[in-house]
Amino acid sequence: MERESVCVLGGGSTKYGKLDDSISDITLQASVGAIESAGIEPKEIEAGYISNVFGVADKQVHLGPVVMSNLGISECPSLSIESACGSGSVSFREAFANVAAGFYDAVLVTGTEKVTHTGTDWTTTYFSYCSDFFYEGQAGASFPGLFASMARAYLHEFDATEEDLASVAVKNHENGVLNPKAHLRKKISIDDVMDSAVVASPLKLYDCCPFSDGASSVILCNEKFAKEHSKDYVKVIGSGRGGSPAALQGREQLTTIPSTRIAAEAAYKMAGITAKDVDFAEVHDCFTVAEVVDSEDLGFFEKGTGATAARNGDTKLNGSISINPSGGLKSKGHPIGATGVGQVVEAFEQLTGKSGERTVNDAKIGLTQNFGATGASCAVHIFQSV
Amino acid sequence: MQFTYSKVCKLSAKPEFIDAAKSGNILARKCAKCGEILLATVYYCKSCGSKEFGDTILKGAGKVVTYTIMTVPPAGFEDLAPYAWVVMELDDSAIRVSGFLAKISTPEDLPIGTPVKVTGFDERGIVLEKL
Repeated sequence: MERESVCVLGGGSTKYGKLDDSISDITLQASVGAIESAGIEPKEIEAGYISNVFGVADKQVHLGPVVMSNLGISECPSLSIESACGSGSVSFREAFANVAAGFYDAVLVTGTEKVTHTGTDWTTTYFSYCSDFFYEGQAGASFPGLFASMARAYLHEFDATEEDLASVAVKNHENGVLNPKAHLRKKISIDDVMDSAVVASPLKLYDCCPFSDGASSVILCNEKFAKEHSKDYVKVIGSGRGGSPAALQGREQLTTIPSTRIAAEAAYKMAGITAKDVDFAEVHDCFTVAEVVDSEDLGFFEKGTGATAARNGDTKLNGSISINPSGGLKSKGHPIGATGVGQVVEAFEQLTGKSGERTVNDAKIGLTQNFGATGASCAVHIFQSV
Repeated sequence: MQFTYSKVCKLSAKPEFIDAAKSGNILARKCAKCGEILLATVYYCKSCGSKEFGDTILKGAGKVVTYTIMTVPPAGFEDLAPYAWVVMELDDSAIRVSGFLAKISTPEDLPIGTPVKVTGFDERGIVLEKL
């Protein structure tokens, strides 16, 4: 089938962190940011894709019609997509598929989340509903607990230490300091991570991304539409999705995430490139161990060597592969419905010269990887500058 | 291990799975077509797609594959921390199950490979104990 060439024309984000505005307000703010960045009129948008998980916690679900009405385009069709922490990338993929198929010339993709007002106890509990609850959440496993179980398996199987995992957090905070929209903008040391309170052993507080509020938005369109509106657009050259057993107990190995490998293989194939061609990657580092596993599953490092690569600084800004130049979920923050779209905003800004001090030098190709829960679902996208 | 090959299995066998766990066992199914052994909470075989299974009761004894010690627990577990959430592999098959294990506070209490067994099922899900 002949596909339309799909482009990201503009991107906008609220700051990530503890926000006072309501979920419908931050959803609107990010959407307006994307529309103005793209230089289009709202009436040119033909459909809206909203990703969100816990709108119910801020008394607003069915967010699409609310944001469309506030944009003055109440007749524009919209929908909401929930796929746990991977909602944003899945929503982006559905929008991509529809533009690629020629159904729409231009669509709005906005991810949004507002949870911090519920407090750590309830947020931890709500998030546990994203697990295979019968076997995991119900038995007292939180998300830090599930990833801690993967971390223990990784440290047992490979030549890696808790300090190696800590180096991922230190690196992502270094990058986040350079990102004005990041939630946690402070430098930290390996000792800070090692001395922080144990949340779920072997993971400590600073191995974990924060609970964040925030919204991110992009305009996705075909290339003809993009060319008519701006010079600042990037092409989506690869898109892939994958699945894994929902519960960790269903996986033969606990040091790899099958959905990432499946999604990456499909995205690389569509793009006609390999991992070696990627200049930077925004990956799903909800916990330090996750970034290490992601960096291997995406093909940047051999299995079992991702922790060593992190320790050696290979993944730093302008290292051999810049991983999470935005600061990642760890420092930039993790508003779960927004995260996958926020990664795309970062790729757009990196490839159009809008990323300031955190710019990856001479970057032509960027990759985003965002998964739901412990990687039960995943989407990978690849972007190229024009 | 005894297999009763039945027509088509029950759509949701969670009540039966829970009853088995309360007796220290794991309710599993063996695929009548390809022989794959699966937990009773699935309906189609992941290997061949068949839904013809024989029920079987597996002994809930096995070894720790990995675990965490929860110190910041979700709601309902506040008074139980620290405790372990454990992935174990059964001795009788390659089947893995996960559950709650009380009163674990340091990794020295539970090295990987420690023998554990299923002892019950309640509001904490599958309950495990060290053998």
